[in-house]
Amino acid sequence: MSGSAASKLPPARESVFPTRQMLGQMKSKLKGAQTGHDLLKRKSEALTKRFREITRRIDEAKRKMGRVMQIAAFSLAEVTYAVGGDIGFQIQESAKSARFRVRTRQENVSGVLLPRFEAFQTDGNNDFQLTGLGKGGQQVQRCRETYARAVETLVELASLQTAFVILDEVIKVVNRRVNAIEYVIIPRTENTIKYIMSELDELDREEFYRLKKVSAKKERDAQVAEKERLDKADDARAAAEADRAVETKDVLGEGENEDVIF
Amino acid sequence: MEGLFYNVSNGYIEGVVRGYRNALLTGQNYNNLTQCETIDDVKLQLGPAYGDFLASLPPNPSTSALADKTTEKLVAEFRYLQANATGSLAKFMEYLTYGYMIDNVALLITGTLHERDTRELLERCHPLGWFETMPVLCVATNIEELYNSVLIETPLAPYFKGSLSHHDLDELNIEIVRNTLYKNYLEDFYQWVNTHPDVKGTPTAEVMSEVLEFEADRRSINITLNSFGTELSKQDRKKLYPNFGKLYPEGVLLLSRADDVEGVRLAVDGVSEYKTFFDQTGLSQGSGGAVSNMAGGAGGETKSLEDLFYQKEMEISKLAFTRQFTHAVVYAWVKLREQEIRNITWIAECIAQNQKERIGNYISVF
Repeated sequence: MSGSAASKLPPARESVFPTRQMLGQMKSKLKGAQTGHDLLKRKSEALTKRFREITRRIDEAKRKMGRVMQIAAFSLAEVTYAVGGDIGFQIQESAKSARFRVRTRQENVSGVLLPRFEAFQTDGNNDFQLTGLGKGGQQVQRCRETYARAVETLVELASLQTAFVILDEVIKVVNRRVNAIEYVIIPRTENTIKYIMSELDELDREEFYRLKKVSAKKERDAQVAEKERLDKADDARAAAEADRAVETKDVLGEGENEDVIF
Repeated sequence: MEGLFYNVSNGYIEGVVRGYRNALLTGQNYNNLTQCETIDDVKLQLGPAYGDFLASLPPNPSTSALADKTTEKLVAEFRYLQANATGSLAKFMEYLTYGYMIDNVALLITGTLHERDTRELLERCHPLGWFETMPVLCVATNIEELYNSVLIETPLAPYFKGSLSHHDLDELNIEIVRNTLYKNYLEDFYQWVNTHPDVKGTPTAEVMSEVLEFEADRRSINITLNSFGTELSKQDRKKLYPNFGKLYPEGVLLLSRADDVEGVRLAVDGVSEYKTFFDQTGLSQGSGGAVSNMAGGAGGETKSLEDLFYQKEMEISKLAFTRQFTHAVVYAWVKLREQEIRNITWIAECIAQNQKERIGNYISVF
């Protein structure tokens, strides 16, 4: 899409004054863009690799969750069978503080902070250890352990899913940047550079032409001046000769000198 | 001699109960149930036995809904019997309900302790354990009030008296309260069947003594096994053992000292039945830590201790029907029906969760 649209559009360029300074700036910008592009490409690849791995692990975790939840649900059925009634309320009421807790940690994957949930169980916090004392107590405990395992899987899955969502977002952004640099910024900068170059060439040519013109004119002027000078010289010589013819007379002769008055 | 006049007052009920017993699911029925593919099929299979009660269920009901409806039938039939019972049988049936009452009261006490709206809890109570003054329990807002003015009025008052103060209700774990009550209840029931003039010396006393002794022993063993690794101290544990039964007094004393499964096994060595149970579950060779009296996930073939106890209970209940002129058939019938409901729930769960390999774990005696 971007390619076809870009091909139809006249090559965009930045609105700059085509100066040599600007050319330098643009060149450094192009260089920066290329370096950035390489880096971002590498980042995107690293993230995608991670992303694939997480997808695979999510798949595994989901399958595991299916199995574990099935076992857990079945162990609850066992409890119902052994106790012979509903113990839900008792359990709910005797639970005082959370035994199963989750802590969050941050993990840095190529500059992206992924939250990571870790499940842990606090020891010595067994609120309903006496439930089912008369009958079914063992099943209750076992059921609790099974469900703790199930929740562990859920927590793992949750951290994977969160990472999945965040990574997805980040990969999109990075890819967009990579594409933007590749298809917009670099061509545009290149165009600008081309434009500046052509403008500068144009200016050069103009300057050259102007110089040529100036020099031509100067030459012409010079020729005219020369000619004039020559003419003038000729005239002067002719006049001088004429003068000499006229005025070749004895200064000390009959010519009366004017009195020199100081 | 006692058979001479039994039918005058209780013959009708005995007849009805025997009729109900014949309606219990047989091994053939269970076989059919295990072949079912969906809950709907289960519902269909239960049609002849439960007909009307399952009719209102939506297609593909949840297993808990199924259990509720089957329990409803048990309750309806029990209520009918109770309405027709007179004299000592009426009292006997009242005793039957006390066990459920204890559960309900424990539930309400829990609710009061946590300052919940106890009215909601009334719906969760077992209908067999319903008694007239139960809604009054909801009026009490704190535990002292509950103890002093409300619990006194309940049929369970004697079980509270002397062994539990209102401070205990507040401080002790509700499970301990419940088991203390249950202990008192069992002892009282045992006392009653062996001393009441109408019951003493009759087959009722004979059968019920056996049943109750078994129940008492089962509770003692279970409490001991379940208390390992918990904060329940040995003194407290000892208070929860009923003071009768085949294990009493030596076995109970040993139980109270037991630290691990091995200790329990030693304690029950004197009673051959329980010893066989332990041998069957493989607990006797088991190392101390590996308490596995649950229907273990992997060990599907070896029955759990709990299963064996249920099995035994069912055997005793079945045998109760071989006796005539006894109240015990009512008790046996209730127990058999409860087991049946559990079996149905189990089978339905297995089908719903697609775990067919363990579906045969139910207990069928007929």
